[in-house]
Amino acid sequence: MTSQDLAFMSATELGAAFRDRQASPVEAVEAYLERIERLNPSLNAYITVLADEAMESARQAEVEIAAGNHKSALHGVPVGVKDQIYTKGIRTSDASKIRSDFVPDQDATVVANLKRAGAVIIGKLNMTEFAMGDPITSAFGVTRNPWDTTRSPGTSSTGSGAATAAFMCATSLGEDTGGSVRGPAANCGLVGLRPSWGRVSRFGVDGASWSLDTIGPISRTVEDCAVTIGAIAGHDPNDPYTWDTPVPDYRAALTGDVRGLKIGVVRELTGPDAPGLDAQTRQAILDAMQKLAELGAEVEEVTIPMAAHAGVACRVISSVERVSLNPSWIRERPEDFHHNTRVAFMTGELIPAQTYYKAQKLRTLIRSQTLEALERYDVLAMPTGSGPAAVMDLRPGIGSKEQAASALKDGSYRGFFSMVSGPALSICCGFTSDGDGALPLAMQLAGRPFDEATVLRVAHAYAQATPWHLRHPPV
Amino acid sequence: MQELTNDDIRALAKAANLNIDDPELTDVNYSLNAMLEAMDAIDVPGVNAVEPLAVITSNTEASQ
Repeated sequence: MTSQDLAFMSATELGAAFRDRQASPVEAVEAYLERIERLNPSLNAYITVLADEAMESARQAEVEIAAGNHKSALHGVPVGVKDQIYTKGIRTSDASKIRSDFVPDQDATVVANLKRAGAVIIGKLNMTEFAMGDPITSAFGVTRNPWDTTRSPGTSSTGSGAATAAFMCATSLGEDTGGSVRGPAANCGLVGLRPSWGRVSRFGVDGASWSLDTIGPISRTVEDCAVTIGAIAGHDPNDPYTWDTPVPDYRAALTGDVRGLKIGVVRELTGPDAPGLDAQTRQAILDAMQKLAELGAEVEEVTIPMAAHAGVACRVISSVERVSLNPSWIRERPEDFHHNTRVAFMTGELIPAQTYYKAQKLRTLIRSQTLEALERYDVLAMPTGSGPAAVMDLRPGIGSKEQAASALKDGSYRGFFSMVSGPALSICCGFTSDGDGALPLAMQLAGRPFDEATVLRVAHAYAQATPWHLRHPPV
Repeated sequence: MQELTNDDIRALAKAANLNIDDPELTDVNYSLNAMLEAMDAIDVPGVNAVEPLAVITSNTEASQ
């Protein structure tokens, strides 16, 4: 098996090969480190590469597996972690100058869970500064999209998307407040799952917004996504908002069978009035629905009028909550923020209390309408964004009030399920018709709170029936 | 609603013990006015009477 063969395997294929002694975790780590060394100078996906630590963990995994102590499907598998998630003894920077020297003295619960599953942490991934704004805000430089380096890899888990798509890790963790797992998954042609709020512990993760933040996987396949979420999910006494309910075997839900399931296509985000939705993305969603109908699902249009308001309400809530976590930074060290982050923090400081309160009321209405729809449908479908990855504007600044307003509307695609608190998964559902420069298109599948299994089941059946996950970016 | 001017924003910032310099002022103006106008434009019947619930917790579910 060549180095490229190892790097191009899925996380679950790698884990199975290690278990069956067909491949070595040490060789896999070497293969990924070689790709990181070659590609990171152009993609800038990693802030910190843990070469020595990963090799040591891989050697340990090899010994454990050889001794018959196979821990899980991720045993020996190299995983990248967003640099917002604490890693004991290793810098966790939030891609900021302010936190550039911060070294946690303990692991986040999700990292501890990955290590317990035998996974190998291969590095800390780039992101937008404090998980806000555009890729240009990172104090460690702009992350590039492997499909087209002039385009955004999606925010805020920029490195998680770029590294996973470029085969610089087997699977990765991101953090999703208003879409920061699903956006990079969409722009980079991957599978990203925002779990239900309360399904995965946030202990040891620098917060962006207490009532919106979730930790989720960005992976190359649905099966990898299922295995990764299975490894990190569960109750944590250190996060009082995690639910004390059993974690299902998500992989067992991947039956390939969607017969009898009811899928509602959200009209407000897919129909002719959807904000800024481009024709290719809309057609890709409709084609995907046709495919799921052919597989036996019942597909209907559903209307959820409040969905159109989710973008601005989500932004108001996240802006206020983000600033409240560290209000002294913007007053005492404003010069240490990127201009755009500084503007975002200052804006969050000035939002009136009644505006924030109205946003919370809107959230309640959005959730109520959506849960009502989910009594009739097993899964809801909609685009992950209004179009494929956009060309990055490397100049700082907002541009105009109209541009700011447009971004708020576009935020409804992902902000919608951030507000609902249920699981939402982004999966590639086609490519633009640009020949060699084709870019991934993406849809979201979302479900009832704590029913990640059904969302994964539908996504897996769709992936099995379509070729999109087999394409590789040109790097 | 009436758009906030730069002077309005400076006054708000002063009340919040926040110093906003000119390079940021224009962009805060764009960002804040876009958000406030979009929120103001949302006119949903009955919204004032809604009791907001930020998150769903296991206790919430149990009580429903």
